[in-house]
This record gives sequence, C-alpha cells and structure tokens, in this order.
Amino acid sequence: MDADVAVESPEHIVFRYRIAGPARRCVAHVIDWFVYSTALAVLVLVMIFAMAGARGQGVSGFVAEASGGLLLVAVFATQWLYFVAWEATLGRSPGKMVVGLRVVTTEGRPIGLKAAALRNFLRAADALPTAYIAGVICMAMTSRFQRLGDLVAATMVVVPEHAAKAAALDLVPPAYPHELATLPEDISLDEDERAAIELFLRRRRGLGPARANELAAMIAGPIGERIGFRHPDPARLLALVYDRAVNAGRTDAPASLRSFSLPPPPPMQQAR
Amino acid sequence: MSVASNVTEKAFVDRRTRDWEELDALTRKAHATRLRKLSSHEVARLPPLYRNVCADLAASQVARYSAPLVDYLRGLTASAHTLLYAPAGLSVRSTPQGMWRALRRGWFVSFPRAVRARWRSMTLAAGLFFIPLAIGAWLTLRDPAFAFRVTPEAMLRQLTEAYTHGFDAGRGAGESVMMAGFYINNNVGIALRCFALGVFGGLGSAFYLVQNGITIGATLGYVTSQGAGMNILTFIVGHSSLELGAIVLAGGSGLSLGWSVVSPGDRTRLASLQKRAREIIVIVFGAAAMLLMAAGIEGFWSASSAPRTVKFAVGTVLFVLVALYVTLAGRRSDDNGEGAR
Repeated sequence: MDADVAVESPEHIVFRYRIAGPARRCVAHVIDWFVYSTALAVLVLVMIFAMAGARGQGVSGFVAEASGGLLLVAVFATQWLYFVAWEATLGRSPGKMVVGLRVVTTEGRPIGLKAAALRNFLRAADALPTAYIAGVICMAMTSRFQRLGDLVAATMVVVPEHAAKAAALDLVPPAYPHELATLPEDISLDEDERAAIELFLRRRRGLGPARANELAAMIAGPIGERIGFRHPDPARLLALVYDRAVNAGRTDAPASLRSFSLPPPPPMQQAR
Repeated sequence: MSVASNVTEKAFVDRRTRDWEELDALTRKAHATRLRKLSSHEVARLPPLYRNVCADLAASQVARYSAPLVDYLRGLTASAHTLLYAPAGLSVRSTPQGMWRALRRGWFVSFPRAVRARWRSMTLAAGLFFIPLAIGAWLTLRDPAFAFRVTPEAMLRQLTEAYTHGFDAGRGAGESVMMAGFYINNNVGIALRCFALGVFGGLGSAFYLVQNGITIGATLGYVTSQGAGMNILTFIVGHSSLELGAIVLAGGSGLSLGWSVVSPGDRTRLASLQKRAREIIVIVFGAAAMLLMAAGIEGFWSASSAPRTVKFAVGTVLFVLVALYVTLAGRRSDDNGEGAR
C-alpha cells in the first residue's frame, strides 16, 4: 500500500518520495502511544514517591494536590504537544523514527512549527468518530495518503529511502575475440529490454546456473535473432549485448571494445 | 541505443563516488543528531556537495545509467534536500534571540492582526457563543430545571454548594495548582478541538461554540437562581475576558477554516484551506496562550480571598486590556502585515 510521489527541487531535480501507507503510520502511532504512556507512568511513580516522602510532614496535602495538577498538565502535553514538539524540531516523532518515517511538506521540505501544529491539532478531527476513522477514510481518498491534518498543513509522511549504492554493471570476463568477431557494432535496445536485461544481470548471481540460463533463453533468442548475433550461452549473450548497447559511444572504451590480452578462452561451458 | 559521448557508468561511478560518500556520511550524521551538531566546516561542505550530486543525478538520468545508480543518487539528493531547505522562522536552527523575537512579534503583532483580518468569523463566533449563553441563562432563570437538561444535576448542585460559601477561606496552594492544571488540560483542549473540528465546513466549531455557550449560560443561571449569583460573578470576573475571549477566537478560527473550504474564491478548495490554515494558526497559538494566562488567574486568583471590589477592578482592567489588545495591538508596526512567516 505504498506509492511514489514526485517532487521538483529548486535545482530542477525531481525526487521521488515513497509515501507511507496507513499500516506503517499505525505502527508508528502505537509506538508513540507507548512512549508517552510510559513517560506518564514514570511521572505518576515519581509523584507517588514524593507523596510517600511528604507523608506526615505537614505538606502531604499540598504535594498530593500539586501532583494532581502537574499530572493534568502532563496529560495535556502528551495529547496536544508531544507530536508538535517532535515534528517541529526533528521532523519525526519517536514512533516515526523507529518505523523510519519522516514528515515533509508536499514540496518535500522539512516542516516547521506551523505545519507541525496544524497537522497535529487536526488529529481531533481525524480521530473522529473513533480510532482515526475519518483520517483513514481521508487517506484512502488522497493520492499522498494524507489525513485531514496533512491536507490542512500541506504535509505528507514519507519513507526516506537511502538506497544502497550498487556497483556499476561490468562485463566480466571481458569479451573474447571470437565473441567480438560477430558482435554487431551498433545495438539498440528499447527501454523495457534494457531494464529486463539489467535486472537479470544483477540478479544472476543469486540464481542457479540452470535457472539463469532458462530465464536468459526466454529473451536472448528473440534479441539475438533481431540483431543477428549468436552465442551458445544465453546469459553471456545478454551480458555482451547489454554492454555494447549501453556503453558503445561512451568516452572511455566499453569493456567489449577494450584491447584484450588474456589467455585463450576456456572451452565454452554448455549450459544444457 | 547510442548515447552522445559520455563516460561509462563504471568510470562515472569511480570518478564521483568520493563526493557521494562524503555527502552520504554528512546527511546521515545530520539526520541522526542535528544540523547544529555539525562543525562549521561540515556545514560549509553541504551545499557544494549537494549541488554536485544534483548535477550527477541529472547527468546519470540523461546518460541513462542503470536504475540502482539513479535510485541511489535520488535517495542521496532527497535526504540532503530535506536538510538544506529548512522552513523560515521558528525552528531548532534559529538562535534563542531569534526565537524570542519571533515569539514577541507573534504575540504583539501577528496575532492581533490576524484576529482583525478575520473579524467576520470572530464576530460570528462571538454570536454563536454569547447568544446561546444568554438564552441558556435566561431559560434557566425562568425555570432552574432547564439547567439539568444540559449539565448533570449532581455537578450543578455541587457547584452551587461551593459558590454559596464565598471565598473568605481562599484556596490552598495545592488546590490552586491542581485547579490551574485542570483548567489547562480542559480549556486549552476544548479550544484546540473547537478549532480543529472547523475543518468540517465550520460545523464542528459552531457546534462546540453553541454547546459551550448554552452550558455556561445554564450553569451561571442555575447558580444565580440558587442565590449565589454574586459569588460566581466574583469568581469569573477575573479570568472570563481571557477565557471566553480565547474560546471565541479559537472557534472563530475554526469557522474561518471551514468557510475557506465552502467558499474558496479563485483557488481550489484544498489550496484555499491550506492558505487559510497558515494564516490562522497564529490565532490558535494566541488563544492557547490566553487560556494559559486564564488558567493561572482562575487557579490562583479568582478563588482567592481578595475583596470583591478588588476582583471586580482587576477583572475590568483585564477586560479593557484584552479589548484594547485585540483592537489596537500591532497597528503601528514598521513591517507589513504578513506576520511571522
């Protein structure tokens, strides 16, 4: 239930943010509930100790009543200020931190005090009639999974993605002379073919050789036929075609054009 | 598919990876702690690194490098972007002096100006609150049993009992703290809810205003009908200008919020709602501040043993101050009326 939303920065760079769906946000909210309930419980404990300490010293009545007043203030703070304070300063409440969510404006910027206050005061409306039903209905009706508070404050909850750096695809081992002899100079792949081959090459290591060949054969046949290139190993064919198509014409020579001085090729393994 | 002269993806990655890793490390550190905790050298490194990585992202998209690389650069720029484009105004990054200035400006300039800019909503809110209050009081004075329809009878009897005694005994310090805490929790909560429910076309705010008006009117009427009218008046005169005023302002903000959806003018309904919300949130902050003051007065002063005449004098002064504040404060300021954005 997650979706992407595109945001353009002042540098005219387009980001894609992954929008957090109701499930993640619900988990974050439960964690937040635990956090502030625990804080309240600790406060109550401290007050009980204070009252026990004050017993019989003539101030026990004052301590009990003052504790009651402070407790009410604390209840108010957890209900109305907890989320505002966290989100205005760090952009995320502890629950969102644990789940890995962040609140940003619909323009992808961090939210300030006003937006944090608006989106969290509006919880009173989202929580109606009970258990955030209004909020969930509202989320279902908006493309950015915004509850009423998000709509009013122009915010959204995203899953900041820190994609791991992936190594560039390289042709290993480099092309052998007998392969270069028949590989066409100019190969053109359309977007889908390219994406499919790329995904295959990246996942190849995790597949068994039989399965890899089976998958490669499904697309290697038609492509090889179209460009007039044959190779006994379909996976190798895809790797060669991909490298030539993607890297031909780049300023530093693609591996399939690099001068080559390796021992003669091992006997080609027969996949079948 | 031949691409105009460009380096291979591998060469590109090899050449640029140092910048990427530096930016990655900096953004992770800043997100984990805070921007403030970075050294000045690290902060100074952020913008140039960010610009370079933005350029790398654009280049890798044009050169059609593989999806994982583009995704990686996107994630990197996005998290640096979140860091660099902070909102103006109050934020953790501003200095204490800056925050203090913003706070002072918000209270003395932006808040009263915003109230005057929305005077129609505020007047309507006052009507929706005080007319039911008057009706509730009048009905109850005619027939005290009416009060039991809007407020539990036991609570009313207890209240009357309390007010009949007068305030000669004053109120203990502990009880004062407890009541102040109760008023904060109860009244500020009511005000914020009254504002928030305005998002439903203003209906929620209108409901809360009318409901609170009738309840308060009936309570006043009932206590008066039981012969403790002067006492309850002495009690409420100190804080009522702040407390009831704040409820009206919060309700009026809710009405204004709702009206911005009903009648969006040239904007889309959503854009109109968002714009109005930004303009009006300062009134909600202000109303909450007024209620905090009211809670202090109500907890520590209103039930104190101070003479009735003093209480009335203080109440009158506060009423005049609130009225002057709402009508006059922030009129003569050098800045334009945009408020602390």
